[in-house]
Amino acid sequence: MKNGLVFFLGVFAALAISFAGIVLGSHAQLGRLAPYFDENEGQAFPLRTAGIATRGQYVYADLGCAACHTQQVRRPDFGSDQARGWGERQSVARDYIHQPRPQLGASRLGPDLANLGGRKPTPPTEADLYKLLYEGSPRHPAYQFLFDRRAVTGEPSPRAVQVEAGRQIVPTERAQSLVAYLLSLNTPYDYPEARPVQPPAKPAANAPAPEKPAVTPIPAAAPDEKQPLPKK
Amino acid sequence: MTNAPTNVRPEVAARAVSAEVTAIDAHARWPILFLLGSALGWLVISGVLALITSIQVHSPAYLADCPWLTFGRAQALRETAFVYGWAANAGLAIALWVLGRLGGYPLRALNWAVVGTLFWNVGVAVGLVGIATGDMTSFSLLQLPRYVQPLLAFAYAAIAIPGVLAWGGRRTEGTYAAQWYGVAALFLFPWLLIGAQAVLGWFPLRGTAQAVAAGWYAQGAWTLWLAPLALAGAYYILPKITGRVVPTYESAPLGFWTLIFAGAWTGGRHLIGGPVPAWVPTMAVVASGLLTFHYLVIALNFRPIFGARGTAAKFIRFGLVAYLLTGGLEFLTAFRGIAVQTQFTFLSTAIEQLGLYGGISMLLFGAIYYMVPRLTGNAWASTGLTVGHRVLVMAAVVLLVVTLAVAGGSQAADLLDPKIGLGDIYGRIRLALLLSSGAELLLLAANLLLLVNFCRTACVCRTDTATTPLFQEPGTLEVHVS
Repeated sequence: MKNGLVFFLGVFAALAISFAGIVLGSHAQLGRLAPYFDENEGQAFPLRTAGIATRGQYVYADLGCAACHTQQVRRPDFGSDQARGWGERQSVARDYIHQPRPQLGASRLGPDLANLGGRKPTPPTEADLYKLLYEGSPRHPAYQFLFDRRAVTGEPSPRAVQVEAGRQIVPTERAQSLVAYLLSLNTPYDYPEARPVQPPAKPAANAPAPEKPAVTPIPAAAPDEKQPLPKK
Repeated sequence: MTNAPTNVRPEVAARAVSAEVTAIDAHARWPILFLLGSALGWLVISGVLALITSIQVHSPAYLADCPWLTFGRAQALRETAFVYGWAANAGLAIALWVLGRLGGYPLRALNWAVVGTLFWNVGVAVGLVGIATGDMTSFSLLQLPRYVQPLLAFAYAAIAIPGVLAWGGRRTEGTYAAQWYGVAALFLFPWLLIGAQAVLGWFPLRGTAQAVAAGWYAQGAWTLWLAPLALAGAYYILPKITGRVVPTYESAPLGFWTLIFAGAWTGGRHLIGGPVPAWVPTMAVVASGLLTFHYLVIALNFRPIFGARGTAAKFIRFGLVAYLLTGGLEFLTAFRGIAVQTQFTFLSTAIEQLGLYGGISMLLFGAIYYMVPRLTGNAWASTGLTVGHRVLVMAAVVLLVVTLAVAGGSQAADLLDPKIGLGDIYGRIRLALLLSSGAELLLLAANLLLLVNFCRTACVCRTDTATTPLFQEPGTLEVHVS
């Protein structure tokens, strides 16, 4: 450690290698992940969300909702996520490719929200979420600063959470964006990579040996062009 | 490559004593006290925020009407004030002081450090306002808004200049472990921050690659920045308060390079089972296994601390045990079978608090208690405040970690059973969470005592550089406050 230059190069190399390995390595794998086109349905998944829902993701992030809620469903043998009805399959990287700031979260003080908009048997409605945000619950704070008190002119707003004596409590634009975002959270499409890997069935001990396949097995790799194809 | 002679003879000890307050200390006094004062101010602020968040956990309605302090924002504020306010300022002060002393010359370019400290603290303050008003990034340990991150990178680099110059222009050819850790932390953090900004702020990666990059940064901040800053002070002080050579010192380079090379690779621990490539958490398991060599070396090197006396020794002893425990628990929780229990629960929070408060902060406290009298030329102003801080902070950290671990254990078991609703799960751990709020209150009280003691000590700072009679026997300085 006497040579300062070598020392600096060493510690810098350590940082650079970890950056290249973890950050650039995962980017190389996930950066080109494309939507999955389903020919039967004639569209690509995941679907893009509406503009208001995309804005809502920023509201979700700036309020710090990820401090209590995750947005990732794990596979059935890893936790009780699916048994709790938080999703019917594990979350995969493709679910998030249209999200500008994925909010995976690291704490579950509240339920996972990855599929809030597709909850079974009945997903929450817009009115349910406005009510929760305005009134709160024993386990959820009331964020009344997301609502405005306005005079009723004509008919009360259909989004009003409270109407009395000519006044109404209506959600602000931020609250509307947030609720639109929460209701957009749903990952119904079953991508091939989201299906659990089935372990190969073990043959029974007294089962007969499998017959030799009648057809020539497909080679693992394409044959080299310079190499002659095997004669049949 | 030894830090101190063994079996110190009286005349040798006397010569060493006369060097306890040196021109190097006097020259760096005010810039380092500025850093330390800022650190302790942020520590108290983060304590207030920690108390608020801990109350919000069991009483969600608390301050819910205040948009600046939603639970998520208050958490981000607490974490940012603690890491970038307290730990960064204190760690930088210690690293500069250690590098100056081991360099053998008064620190150069201290003007840069003062200006850097000013901008760093302005940047942290602006960042906190930004978080409170909705500009947080929502990445763990990097919640600061994008617009203050470049300022912080430049401010940090400015503070680091005197330390790097002290390393480059050192009097001796050989180097010490304290210098390796100090210089590595000074040099690496700006690059770490710039790397994270590049892929999370300026050119954000796609989808969950952002979570991987955020994990890389968070673990890098822990292993390449905070831990080295704390270890720099501990390695420097250890031989001085024990009067012995650091045992098994020849293995110290192995401990250092293992931490530096393997540390950031453990970032995938928190993504086990998540929507990221499977090799990311697998690499974290491998890297966590490699890191056990680092913890083993640290345990071997710091053995003499268990026989040492004095306030600094007690803090370093506590910090060492917590640091090693954190390393062991991080290794265990990197395995999928255990992660399925601990993930997303208060067990993770308990391990994080054990590392940040029990490990890093205690090592920093130990270094501060050793350093401040030598910088100011005065013993600590109040023995009562010193003892009060030590007893309260240690008891509070134990209480905090234990209560969070108990809550996390219950939560982990219940979360695995889908028949138990979330309301029931949190009803069962309410008592433990209430006790953790008590622990946060104790921590706040303890750190207020330290702040008062520091202000009283620093405000009667001597201006001469001569060795004072007090430092003829520096051992008593450590002992009489214990």
